[in-house]
Amino acid sequence: MTAESDFGTVAAMRGVQERRDGAVRLAMLLGGTVFVLMMLLGLVMRLAQGGLVEIDAALFYRIMTAHGAGMVGTATLTGATILWFFTNRHVPLLAGVFWAFLGLFLLGVVFILAAIFVGGYGGAWTFLYPLPAMSGGFWQPSAAALFLLGYVSIGVGFLLLHLEVARKLIAAYGGIGGALAWPLAFGRGRPEDAPPAGVVAAMASTIFNVLGIVVGAAVLVASIVNLLVPGFTVDALLAKNMIYFFGHVFINAAIYMGVIAVYEIIPEYTGRPWKTTRAFAIAWTVIMLFTLSVYPHHLMQDLAMPAWTLVMGQLVSYFSGIPLIAVTAFSLLVYIRGADMRWDLASALLVLGVAGWSVGTVPAIIDGMIVVNKVMHNTQWVPGHFHTYLLLGEVAMAFGFMAWLTRAPAAQERPGAARLTGADRLLFLTYAVGGTGFVLVFLVAGALSVPRRWAVHATQWMPLAQAASVFAALVILAVTVFVLRYLSGLIRQRS
Amino acid sequence: MHMMVLGVSLAFMALIAVTFILVARARPPRSDANRSEARRRQLIWAMVIFGVVVSVASLARWPHAVSAAPTEVVNVTGTQWYWEIDRTEVPQGVPVLFSAKTTDVTHGFGVVDEKGRILFQAQVIPGYENKVEYNFDEPGIYKVICLEFCGVAHHEMVNEFIVAAR
Ligand code: HEM
Ligand SMILES: [Cu+2]
Ligand SMILES: [Cu+2]
Repeated sequence: MTAESDFGTVAAMRGVQERRDGAVRLAMLLGGTVFVLMMLLGLVMRLAQGGLVEIDAALFYRIMTAHGAGMVGTATLTGATILWFFTNRHVPLLAGVFWAFLGLFLLGVVFILAAIFVGGYGGAWTFLYPLPAMSGGFWQPSAAALFLLGYVSIGVGFLLLHLEVARKLIAAYGGIGGALAWPLAFGRGRPEDAPPAGVVAAMASTIFNVLGIVVGAAVLVASIVNLLVPGFTVDALLAKNMIYFFGHVFINAAIYMGVIAVYEIIPEYTGRPWKTTRAFAIAWTVIMLFTLSVYPHHLMQDLAMPAWTLVMGQLVSYFSGIPLIAVTAFSLLVYIRGADMRWDLASALLVLGVAGWSVGTVPAIIDGMIVVNKVMHNTQWVPGHFHTYLLLGEVAMAFGFMAWLTRAPAAQERPGAARLTGADRLLFLTYAVGGTGFVLVFLVAGALSVPRRWAVHATQWMPLAQAASVFAALVILAVTVFVLRYLSGLIRQRS
Repeated sequence: MHMMVLGVSLAFMALIAVTFILVARARPPRSDANRSEARRRQLIWAMVIFGVVVSVASLARWPHAVSAAPTEVVNVTGTQWYWEIDRTEVPQGVPVLFSAKTTDVTHGFGVVDEKGRILFQAQVIPGYENKVEYNFDEPGIYKVICLEFCGVAHHEMVNEFIVAAR
């Protein structure tokens, strides 16, 4: 082979690599943009609850449906994109699968938007059976069916993506157990032989997200048939169990996939690889089992549930905190403390992501106690805790990943050259302070017994929503700049 | 209970946040692998022990317990978008059993005291009789609200009943 043709192959391979990355970059651009748009919808809801804008209840609940479905979908889209990007570093993945995933995702988005804003569906992202079919005249069954079909399309896209990831990881690491580092977890293997940390996380989150989506698909199909064939009914409690199993797993998968960015990127800043230790391997198998068994914490006020399921929900909620706090967060802190850590926007946001996630589990775990849940369930305490680990957790990781994809060329060659410049520092603080204030107001409102999902708030609650609106505006400001900064980074890289 | 929950949450949240901030700002780099692994083990054990104690304490008395032969029974029915309650008055200081049903979708039976605090709630699942018991300490007018999203007038599903002094 001549040097020239050799060079040709390398260039062609680079081209393939960039095209693959192109899809990832595009997906993150879409994700970032949708985050901004959905946050604007969130702000409208908070302004309405604060009595500062007037919208009718039907529109409020449509916006709430769009915000919930849009945010959960986008969080999982960005999480899955992170999973795909880094898995691709370890095992080559078929680029076409990612394009199919993106296509099905966008098709689902079109269905969902049409169902809500044309068809009038406003039954919340949780489509709690039998609400989609019993709207009291506010939307037609066809609108609800279109909404659910949008979910099916997105679900199929995720299944394709996960099956490609699973297939390649299983082949490369000798089975599911190999990719989960079971030999090491069970004390039979050496850390040197274990797969990289990102691979273990990718395998575990792939397994539970596939199971979640399969159960979700079953209840979606049942709900769609119920819409089209009114005589067909299912047990409402069974349907609720399936919906929350799916919903819990799916949104948690977003965070567990997002944290792969932390495992893979932070070592560039600390100069030490994120090691697959025995504790790490055990933690991820435990996370997988816990993620699949914790969902009854959503059904603690369902008195017909067998008591043991609620006890399990409470115990698993608490003990899920251990692998997060004592393994991922603790290791991150040890790595940072031991390194001459250089901060730039990417590393700062990634670390914020783990911090926000850890902090957010506190109010979540407390609400996962049956006695507390009796007074806090379905108050704004709930959006209080999940916005903490989503807004300050997964979303921070996603924007951290985007900042890293477009980091300055000097930082790309030598992470030590990274800098948190004055402007970036201000941007980061705006986001962190705005986000913290925003979630704290929800928690205070929850403690004051303000219900969640109420289009209209009592006058005495309005100052809370007004304060939250100010914090939300700060977040939106920062996130808009994140997206513009990312976009200009992409343009700079192309030229 | 409500403010204690808030206080405890904020304390632990602040603890974690401050730890992150201190570590992120600390200089110069220091690492001692053995010491940090020992600390990790201590942290895991502390979390396990704390968790077992809190779990046992909070579950020892089953939070959803209802009497076998209740003397005071109230039947509640949720329908899009109103509550029907078959009594206007219940006595203070004895267990009152609420049996909640729905004629359409899932609702959330929530009871709020005069200070605006949610005292307890129950999901009202179609096809099930949902039973929850409560012993009211204070006489007064109590509000019933909906705590499960049930459609366009969910926030307007409000009713009330009286707890009479004994
Ligand atoms: C500036 C940012 C944001 C604002 C202003 C905002 C605002 C809101 C508001 C007002 C609600 C309804 C609260 C209620 O029940 O009374 C809500 C619900 C929700 N938000 Fe956000 N949010 C923001 C960011 C996010 C992010 C980043 C995510 C996830 C990645 C998210 C996911 C959700 C979900 C899943 C719901 C539940 C919807 C439902 O109850 O059906 N939000 N948000
Ligand atoms: Cu959950
Ligand atoms: Cu309701």
